Amino acid sequence: MQFEQQVAVPDPSAGPEGYRQHARTWLRANLPDFMRADSLTWRAATLAESSLWEAAMHQAGLAGMTWPKAYGGHGLTLREHLAVNKEIGALPMPESVSSIGKELAGPIIMAVGSEAQKETFLPNILTMRQYWCQGFSEPDAGSDLARLRTKAVQEGEHWRINGQKIWTSGAAKAHYCLLLTRTGTVADKHRGLLMFAVPMDTPGIRVVPIKSIDGKESFAEVFFDDVVVPDSARLGAPDEGWNAAIRVLSIERATNRMYRPWRFECELRQLIAACKSDSQIAPSLDDGYVQRRVGDLVSEIDGLKGLVELTVERMLRGESLGARGSLTKLYWSECHQAFASLALSMLSPVGPHSSPLAQRAHKAFTNAYLFSRAETIYAGTTEVQLDVIAQRVMNLPKDLT
Amino acid sequence: MSSEELRPEEFAQAADAAITDALSHKDPHDQAAVLAQAGLCGVMADEADGGLGLDLAFALPIAQAAGRLQLPLPLAEQMLLARAFAGTPQAAALAAGERIAGIAWQRTLQSGSVRVDHGPADWVLVADDSGAALVDVSAASCDAQAALDPEHPQLWLTLAGAPVLARLDAAAFEAVRRQAQLLLAEFANGAAEGALQMAASYMATRVQFGRPLSAKQAVRHLLARMRLLQDVSSAAIRRAMTADEFGAPRDTRPALAGAIANAAFVIEKAIHLHGGMGFTWELPLHPALRAVRKLDAAFNGLSRQTGRDFIQSV
Repeated sequence: MQFEQQVAVPDPSAGPEGYRQHARTWLRANLPDFMRADSLTWRAATLAESSLWEAAMHQAGLAGMTWPKAYGGHGLTLREHLAVNKEIGALPMPESVSSIGKELAGPIIMAVGSEAQKETFLPNILTMRQYWCQGFSEPDAGSDLARLRTKAVQEGEHWRINGQKIWTSGAAKAHYCLLLTRTGTVADKHRGLLMFAVPMDTPGIRVVPIKSIDGKESFAEVFFDDVVVPDSARLGAPDEGWNAAIRVLSIERATNRMYRPWRFECELRQLIAACKSDSQIAPSLDDGYVQRRVGDLVSEIDGLKGLVELTVERMLRGESLGARGSLTKLYWSECHQAFASLALSMLSPVGPHSSPLAQRAHKAFTNAYLFSRAETIYAGTTEVQLDVIAQRVMNLPKDLT
Repeated sequence: MSSEELRPEEFAQAADAAITDALSHKDPHDQAAVLAQAGLCGVMADEADGGLGLDLAFALPIAQAAGRLQLPLPLAEQMLLARAFAGTPQAAALAAGERIAGIAWQRTLQSGSVRVDHGPADWVLVADDSGAALVDVSAASCDAQAALDPEHPQLWLTLAGAPVLARLDAAAFEAVRRQAQLLLAEFANGAAEGALQMAASYMATRVQFGRPLSAKQAVRHLLARMRLLQDVSSAAIRRAMTADEFGAPRDTRPALAGAIANAAFVIEKAIHLHGGMGFTWELPLHPALRAVRKLDAAFNGLSRQTGRDFIQSV
């Protein structure tokens, strides 16, 4: 697997359409066939292969779009970011193996990190030299971070950290952990929270993988026993850093993975192509119920595209997004979950006699169905999103005024 | 009047006032006259026909307000047909509110009879072999189908002998169909917004167990879901208004099918959240539900058709 090192990235003055054309041409010419979920030669990419692919995408101007050039980004606007994401979504390519770095750690470091931290960490995320994991959730603090227990105690120029994190995706491969701790006691609730960039090879860190229902072991429990880090690992001041991070996260929730509606459409096309390729399954596409469900999905996908595009327009106009990211995440996760169920059911007749494309789709969508269970859990559960909409979008009162 | 002087949002406020005024009259023709006086019927019609010559973006908030305020007239259709028949006496009569025009979305002129779900109407646009015909049904035999909406029934009209006033070719009819789908989607979404506002403010003030019902998580989450679907409909309609990446018009059917389904959910749940009151004739939520269900009937099979076309495109 080799990619051209010198790619002519279009000038942003070419406009989003020029950028989109570049993305389309480059992605179609370079995406390895075995990485396409609809390819008969598909196989799971190794970490090294995924890394090489994503680094090449960055080289081609298709990752780190809105990050400043000084930190390895391309210094563009959300308009180009969206244009590229539409093309990323249109191809059935693997998800990023560095999403925590690109969507979470990177933007937070950009907002709260020191200049030295930005220069050290940010370019390495985009060039895929360093992976990050997210150390927020704990056994006793899932959606409710006020119950966070992992404690950081200052000892001169160092901090001593003790505690436990859980549901940490990619912990085993990560070079750094974006770790949320508290400097006081649990009684302080949301006060005294402090973030660190902790190297995962620091003595005292133990990663215990957790097997998930899709058979993978990508997430883990992470134990911190007397882990000592220098003060330079601290991201921002206590309270201040975390408060800034929350603001970043609210924007990220609205802007990351913009490709999702276009990928959703791509998956729907893959499902239909697979059904058409098999003489036993193809007649189901003439069924009125199936046609109606497909029509409903097309409506849902159109609505999702509309939400994403509206978000970009609003941000480009400088309007505050508030909690609107919750709407997109919630709608996508529930519609996509229902789609995965439909796909599983439509492909249920698949066996050794079935067309190769149908057999491939059966494997892909069974996995997608199982993985989609996580979609209403991670990045704020459905219930958390509904709370956010009720509280911050609708301002529904909880008390008599 | 040019679009540069006015913005659609500003027009929306005037639309609210005019529709509210029209609703103080009982007779549909009186209502139409008030709306025409305020410029709503002819918002898109040519200036030569007495219209304002504005584009679809200005008609959209009017259709939204008609849905939200539960106007029992085919205002969306009226605005479009006053534009589509530009240069004819019919366009001028529609812009002036002298006649009310609706559209039959199922069946054709050759069927002998059609149903108007979003009426009442003196004139009806009916599909025919070469496009569509505007038929004068003011003297046609009419069978009111009142089961769904006794006050504003669906109307089965016999077309035999009814005069054809004007025709649209296939391309012009297709343009009307597309624009009508967007306006009626916005009408349904307006109906949903009105119902959601009613439900949210009632839940915020209705006290049980010492707190407003909106403090209850089950209620908050349901209202949040209603808001989500209403926002999705708005976003889909907005998107369908714009050309695609290659400059071609987008399919408007998914936005309409989605808006109807979402509006039905929102209004049904708004009725539910009002408890026993929601089931009363007095509470003005059932008219919104009836209006949206009549639209659903008018476009029956739209989602299936969209799905079938998508399947064929793969």
